[in-house]
Amino acid sequence: MELSRKDFLKASAGAVGLLLLQPPALALAKESQTGEDSAMLVDVTKCVSCWWCYAACKNYNKLPETIKPDPEQPPPLSPNVWTTLKPIKRGTEWFSRKQACNHCTDAACVEVCPTGALSYNQMGFVQYDKEKCSGCGYCAEFCPFGVPQLERNKLSGAAVMDKCTFCKDRVADGEQPACAAACPTGAIKFGKRDELVKEGKERVATLSKANNNAVFYGDKELGGLHVMYVLDDSPEVYGLPVNPEVPAAAIVRDVLKWVGVGAAIAVLAGFGFNYIVAREARMTRELPGGEYMRKRKDEENK
Amino acid sequence: MTEPRVVERFKKRTICLHWIHTAAFLILLVTGAILFFPGIGGPAAGGLTRLIHRIAVVFFVAIPVIYSVFNPRTALHFIKETLTWGKEDIGWVEAAPLYYFGVADEKMPPQEHVNTGQKMWQLIVLGTSVLFFVSGLIMWFFKGTVPAGLFQWCVIAHDVAFLLAFLMLLVHIYTGSIHPRMTESLRSMWDGRISKKYAKSHYGKWYDKISANEK
Repeated sequence: MELSRKDFLKASAGAVGLLLLQPPALALAKESQTGEDSAMLVDVTKCVSCWWCYAACKNYNKLPETIKPDPEQPPPLSPNVWTTLKPIKRGTEWFSRKQACNHCTDAACVEVCPTGALSYNQMGFVQYDKEKCSGCGYCAEFCPFGVPQLERNKLSGAAVMDKCTFCKDRVADGEQPACAAACPTGAIKFGKRDELVKEGKERVATLSKANNNAVFYGDKELGGLHVMYVLDDSPEVYGLPVNPEVPAAAIVRDVLKWVGVGAAIAVLAGFGFNYIVAREARMTRELPGGEYMRKRKDEENK
Repeated sequence: MTEPRVVERFKKRTICLHWIHTAAFLILLVTGAILFFPGIGGPAAGGLTRLIHRIAVVFFVAIPVIYSVFNPRTALHFIKETLTWGKEDIGWVEAAPLYYFGVADEKMPPQEHVNTGQKMWQLIVLGTSVLFFVSGLIMWFFKGTVPAGLFQWCVIAHDVAFLLAFLMLLVHIYTGSIHPRMTESLRSMWDGRISKKYAKSHYGKWYDKISANEK
């Protein structure tokens, strides 16, 4: 079949149109996919600091117990502590916020991990592959929530990181993560993300009747967190940044490496060109410094 | 016809310094560069390359320091030479494109013991060494104790130093050993000597000085 000019133009216009349409279509697909993801909703107003989430996490993930849980001095996150209760003091009262990996959709740790040890899995969670980890600790320094923690030898630099997996094996089998399953008050709820977003917003609306500070956290932050929070006070009070972002340095680093690749290719290509030209020229021309040498000879002759 | 290579350009100890420093830098370069792209980061798994990086840097820092302690005058001269810039350097920059493409040689002013291009390299070596050292020291010993923001910019500083040093190293290798004009440079960094002809044409000002001293 022969294409007429008109047909070709029509087809081209159609193709361009499709291309223009594609980005929003893709973006939409990603959003609805996040909605279909499994997620967790942490409602701090329902938390009674019973530490069952902590114990269930330790138990299911077979993490050795190194510190005795003490409400006065709760264990911070570490390679052996994947979820903990962050103590929050408000006035004279103590509260807790469950603290673990939030499994961001746009995760700074994945962005900066130099070996691909941190990546997104099919369920949208941030997964960690111990085999690939070099122990550099960039994840710990770039995470806006300060979640990844390393135990390191200061001299040799050897270090191990480990963190919450969202109990991906359990979730894949249709079960709840261990912490959510153990929570006796419903402060940790597991479900489809879009349903939890709806529920979280409704809960905040209810709370707002009595409390203007109540907020729903994690819906849009960093592309949407897989662990969202119902808070009865500003995020800062609960140790959560108000506008968490992938640090600028992570983006600068990404740009720099491609600038480097481009510059190296340009320099090497320049050498190739220079070599071809200069090699030919050297055969036909006198030695460098000719003018200088002639001047000196003139001076000597004087 | 081969010219007798009779002009002493580098002392043995300087040549040793050069090559040990080079070896240490190449090890640092390889063990560092694999952290740039997750696709080639495989060898870094387990952290062995990070340990090698730390061992290599001890040599990278200690060797020039030891050299400087035993040869303070040479070390000071090196720093002074690197930081002294004048009108002749502008002359070199103007003449360099045609000179290095072999089109016109006459405009190239006679050079000192190191030419302007080599001085640029020395400046990059000194400058990036400081940048590497400070940012590296913080990342090695103060990880977790300095604010995350400072650590992040140390990563960037280390990356920038790497880019500058790596690109200039390519230039250094090319102009030192591959460029058609530089017929004796690489060998001089091996046995320390060059021919009179090479000294006259490449380092005219320096050659005038040393031949005046001999008289």
